[in-house]
Amino acid sequence: MQRALRAGLGYHGFDVRAVGSGEEAVREAASWRPDVVLLDLGLPGMDGFQTLAALRPATRAVVIVVSVMPGEKDKVRALDAGADDYVVKPFGTEELVARIRAVLRRQADVTSGEPVIRSGDLEIDLAQRAVSVGGKAVRLTPTEYEVLRYLALHAGKPVTHTTLLRQVWGDYAVGDNYNTRYVVAQIRKKLGDDSSNPRYIVNEPGVGYRLEAN
Amino acid sequence: MLAVAGSAVITAAIAGIQARTSVAGLSALYLLLVLWLGARWGRLPAVAAGVCAFLLYDFFVVPPVGTFAVQGTSGLVELIVLLAVALVTGQLAASLRRTQAASEALAAESRALYDLATAALSSPEVTGALSLLCRRAMLIDGVSLFSLVGTDSGQAVVLAGTDMSSDQLKQAAWSAEHRRAVGISISDGAIKLVKTRPDPREPAYLPLAGGVAVVRVDPDGHSAPEDMRMTAALIGLAGLLLDRRRAALESDRASGFEASDRLKAAILSSLSHELKSPIASLRAGLTALVAPRAGLEPEQKELLQDLDRQANRLDHMVGDMLALSRLEAGVALDKEPHRFADLVGSALRQLRSDLKDREVSVSADDDLPPVEVDEVQVARVLVNLLENALEWAPAGGRIALGAAARDGHLEAWVENDGPAIAPADLDRIFDTFWTRRARGSGLGLAICKRVVEAHGGTIRAENMRRGPRFTFTLPLARVPAAQ
Repeated sequence: MQRALRAGLGYHGFDVRAVGSGEEAVREAASWRPDVVLLDLGLPGMDGFQTLAALRPATRAVVIVVSVMPGEKDKVRALDAGADDYVVKPFGTEELVARIRAVLRRQADVTSGEPVIRSGDLEIDLAQRAVSVGGKAVRLTPTEYEVLRYLALHAGKPVTHTTLLRQVWGDYAVGDNYNTRYVVAQIRKKLGDDSSNPRYIVNEPGVGYRLEAN
Repeated sequence: MLAVAGSAVITAAIAGIQARTSVAGLSALYLLLVLWLGARWGRLPAVAAGVCAFLLYDFFVVPPVGTFAVQGTSGLVELIVLLAVALVTGQLAASLRRTQAASEALAAESRALYDLATAALSSPEVTGALSLLCRRAMLIDGVSLFSLVGTDSGQAVVLAGTDMSSDQLKQAAWSAEHRRAVGISISDGAIKLVKTRPDPREPAYLPLAGGVAVVRVDPDGHSAPEDMRMTAALIGLAGLLLDRRRAALESDRASGFEASDRLKAAILSSLSHELKSPIASLRAGLTALVAPRAGLEPEQKELLQDLDRQANRLDHMVGDMLALSRLEAGVALDKEPHRFADLVGSALRQLRSDLKDREVSVSADDDLPPVEVDEVQVARVLVNLLENALEWAPAGGRIALGAAARDGHLEAWVENDGPAIAPADLDRIFDTFWTRRARGSGLGLAICKRVVEAHGGTIRAENMRRGPRFTFTLPLARVPAAQ
């Protein structure tokens, strides 16, 4: 698997280094300073989550978790532990490359400090706290705006229900995901979006939401 | 005895004092005696002392001394007052004593109950506490049988107390099952035995929260009310203990289920790792070589792409089989309130590349009530049904998806305008491994059926005018209307 990935990513122009354990990964991430870390959760020795926890202070690289995990709980746990995205094995090289490029693009957008975030014809102006679709202003309640703002700041990245709840309603928010779902449904309605075929905020089943980045 | 002796002593004392100096009202000294006797021994000795005092005072003190005759009105009045006061005082003292005795009995009763309850509730073993309680109950006068029967194992079993005949156990089971008391009732904190029982020597049965109390109170003995109160209180305490025992049993059972659930999930997760890892390497390798920089000939690339499609199919089949075993193993669902439109959105998104040039119409009202479901599993049902529709709908054909609230649940359907399903196949179409397609795995619809049934719903296939339709039901969530 590792050899196949190294070859595949290499053909797409990436410079790849592969390591065999979590400890090595943390060392390599600190010294070599890669842009992206692909982390398989099924590691020998130090497990994937421990590695994730150790990686975060060691590197500012984007971390994409790769795993054969049927459980949504593991995805949530990885995201909450600082992963930027996850890809479920098996996957094709093209799919992985597309994911990596999307995450890198987003990273560039965020670090550029651009105050306007776009998703299709949706524009979120963080400086003005203004939201518009196709140039037409949309009025959101403060809560709705906060939810959209947080998703926009992490555009393209899955945001877990728990994170959203905590970011918008505070640390002591009691876990009521239905509340978030209701607010997202309201936002979609105001953006003229259809829950059963959303263009902007899409569901990550069992995990949370993702604002489509373009 | 004491009344007579006491009166005599006081009379002598009064006579002695009276002989030296004339003091009025010394007869009040008798009242001390009457009061003491009343408080100590009750009404009768007090009255006796009162009468003795009257007679002795008359004879020895009231002039003319030595006779019962009374001289002058003042002497007469004094005597009558003495008698009346003695009688009233005696009564009062005696009733005071009765009240005190009763409150002492109550205090003893509550102390006994308190001790028992503390012992019972502090012991981790409820059965031990129940035995303690039964032993205490058998100490009550007139109680000749006191047993607690549990019915949680499917049959009646004596948990504590006197052994019972099989007929009596049957009667207890009946009483528990129908929640009906037999031959007994508890009112105002005391038990009342029903007088018209066919055989008063048979015990009475009282169903409690977690079992049945079986009690026989001596039918001819006139039991004291405090004994009956005590019996009732013990039955009440037994009810609490039995309820606690039942709760403990249930939580044991639940944690057992949980452990086996964790084990099943762990096995399935390691199994899916074993099965999927080779496929993952296969796909990563095959797709890597397709990149232009790999420099393969077009026909070589085509071969690789075809192989990747096969590997992908294998992955789907393995995924389906794992999903099915997960459902069959009964791994718990992760249910939460969800909006149906969100579930449809997730499913359509997963299939977006397959649906690119297909028209899928969705008719689900925005104000549909939320459903209480496992999001991932129900999205899988929709994906499988849509994939099935994609398979059968003719090119350019229509796929329609809809939902409506009906009879306390949500009814959802997916239909296409492909060929009708043979009537004989409508029933077995959900069977595992049964498929109408040459290349189908026969798992997709079987998974749908399992998921829907795990949610307590039903799924059916039928031929509509335009084509086949699959309809399934989902439970509605009990969510307060969102604010």
